[in-house]
Amino acid sequence: MRSNRRRHANVLPIASLATWIIVAAFACCAGLYYVYCKHQLLERGNQIHGLERELAELKNLNECAKTRIDMLSSPAALRQRRTQDLAKYVEITQDKLVLLTEKPADGSELRTVANIKQ
Amino acid sequence: MIASAKTRALVGCCVLATGFTGFSFRLVDLQVTRHEEYAAMAAESHGLRQTIFARRGAIYDIHNQPLAANEPVRTIAADASKIGDKAELARFLAKPLEMTEAALVEKLSRERWSEKEQKMVPARYIVLKKGVPEPVADDLIQRIAEIDRKKDQKDPAKAKPGQATPAPTASVVQEASGYYTIEEAKTLAKAGVRAIMLEQDSNRVYPNKNMLSHVVGFVDAENKGVDGVEKTMDDFLKGHDGLRFSERDRTGKELVPFRSQERPARDGANVRLTIDLSLQDIVETELAAAVKQYRPKMAIGIMMRPQTGEILAMANRPDFDPNDVDASPLAARRNRAITDMVEPGSTFKITVVSGALQQHLVHPDTMIPTENGYFTYMGRVLRDTHPFPELSVHDIIVHSSNIGAAKLGIQLGDQRLYEWVRKFGFGDRTGVQLPGEINGLVHPVYHWDKLTITRIPMGQSVCVTPLQVVTAMSAIANGGSLMMPQIVHDVTDCEGHTVTAFPPVEVRRVISPEVAAEVRQALQDVMSKKGTGKDIHVPGFLVAGKTGTAQKAGENGIGYEKGKYIVSFVGFMPVDNPQFVCLVMLDDCQVEANKNYGGTIAGPIFAKIAERAARHLGLEPSQELLQEQSKAAADSERAND
Repeated sequence: MRSNRRRHANVLPIASLATWIIVAAFACCAGLYYVYCKHQLLERGNQIHGLERELAELKNLNECAKTRIDMLSSPAALRQRRTQDLAKYVEITQDKLVLLTEKPADGSELRTVANIKQ
Repeated sequence: MIASAKTRALVGCCVLATGFTGFSFRLVDLQVTRHEEYAAMAAESHGLRQTIFARRGAIYDIHNQPLAANEPVRTIAADASKIGDKAELARFLAKPLEMTEAALVEKLSRERWSEKEQKMVPARYIVLKKGVPEPVADDLIQRIAEIDRKKDQKDPAKAKPGQATPAPTASVVQEASGYYTIEEAKTLAKAGVRAIMLEQDSNRVYPNKNMLSHVVGFVDAENKGVDGVEKTMDDFLKGHDGLRFSERDRTGKELVPFRSQERPARDGANVRLTIDLSLQDIVETELAAAVKQYRPKMAIGIMMRPQTGEILAMANRPDFDPNDVDASPLAARRNRAITDMVEPGSTFKITVVSGALQQHLVHPDTMIPTENGYFTYMGRVLRDTHPFPELSVHDIIVHSSNIGAAKLGIQLGDQRLYEWVRKFGFGDRTGVQLPGEINGLVHPVYHWDKLTITRIPMGQSVCVTPLQVVTAMSAIANGGSLMMPQIVHDVTDCEGHTVTAFPPVEVRRVISPEVAAEVRQALQDVMSKKGTGKDIHVPGFLVAGKTGTAQKAGENGIGYEKGKYIVSFVGFMPVDNPQFVCLVMLDDCQVEANKNYGGTIAGPIFAKIAERAARHLGLEPSQELLQEQSKAAADSERAND
């Protein structure tokens, strides 16, 4: 009888408890996973933002470099460098110049050259 | 009396029901009744509307040499509502922005009126400096990032006595270096460095500075075209800004996952001009040398391809630097090639001669009495510089006879002369894609006095733009077609696809190819020994052209200024297949009166330009002509000795 009472008094509803624990654990995991996903989403967003900024900066730097090259290689800049003796013209002397004869009437591309000084 | 459990439960339920009913009402009030108001507040608080700025298109020459480009810069702004210590922040910004601390403090102290609070509050957007170069902005960004990093760190120098100081790790050593100490970083963070905003912007730059400045034009502070091609092609160049709706967190940082609607920016198209920068350089250099030598009030050089009307070069003096527009006077910014009208002088004789030939009133050999250089008409005397008893129509051009041209005008008659002037495009805008072009001035016949018919044929009583003269000469060079001058070749998008092309446009056929050939022959003989352009030679090439020496009209428009002339030369080369027509015009050269002629000043400038242009264009000089010219030069030298 005693053992029988022990069997029927203060009995833990293991199955029900386990079910609820599993449900609670599942809910917790789902919640945590949701938070994790949300965090990842924001993190990726920040990364995208960072990459976009880097890309924009690179584009800007590229554009800056291009503009600088344009400024330095313009005829006005080259002329200024020449006046400052940082660049100079090298004269092509007459002995290095040749003149092409006129195109032959037969359509041939072969043309003779002559140096007018020699 | 102790309430029963049932009563207690009932009371509890009633309280709860009342509470929840209240909540429900509040919910309806918030979500339905005042939805709009709260939605707007939420949008203002968390919504983010970003403008994605479009890049302005570039301008190139025909060989894709850049004429106008964009340089990325930053606009430095501040939100005064987030500033703690203005003086400290001003000290932080003064050096990189190259501004005084006082000026910065003054800017940072700006306030605005708040309708909500009904008082003056710190302004939330204050522009501190525009056009800050990218390297300076980068440096500023790094400084702010360092302050952000260091502001939450503990200062090892302030460790309590007796407290064990940890060994410095690599990261600590790295943090210790840099622009600021931890203490300074904390002070600056409190001052409000986060209130500084660095916004993307761009500066329009013109790499060629003064060269081609009148054609390319310039933009205003808002990057809107104000003059030149920048203005006429502004719709293509400006592009369309994009838009992005997103959300932001409490610190104002964008929450990228919450981006919603987005419309990407459409960059402006690139405009390619017909200008050849090398030819432009040649014209500019020769014009600059002429300006230095003759000190004229203005000088103009235009080069055009006669077959298509494409403008290869267009230069003006005085000029200006579009990178610094405010430094130049307003008069220097005028493109005088299209906005100024002048009496053309003898270059205009081509109009009346072409008209008379086309009308079959005369042929090139028809002799016209030129009265030994003294012709009285309606009581007024007309003179020729070189007197002849009679001249052929061909020689009227060669000797630039005023009397001969006047007599051809009389033969044509008022109405027909007027029609021929208009047929050559004078009195109408040419339609070139540049702003501010004027019509010129060709009075209708009913406004003419009795002398006008003799004045117009020699280029007086009529006002034209230099571009109109080049266009008219191009019609003779190309065989009789009046072409519309073009400065824009095509418009391409940023991927290189053609958006719009501008093919050559023939306005009308003015004269027949036969008549054009006859006039060309006369123009070629202008360069002969007997012609007014005898000093104009380009080694190895046959040149055709017309000199012009016009008296300068008086300031008030009445009479002429004594001893002041507008000298010009308009010619083309090679004669048999013209590759370019070039006009050189100088106003009021500071030289002796006997040298102030188109043939002695403008002509030789043309010759120098033409010689260099021929080399650039790869035109082959004629060997026979070279030999003939060198022989003639040797003979002339021997004769002089």
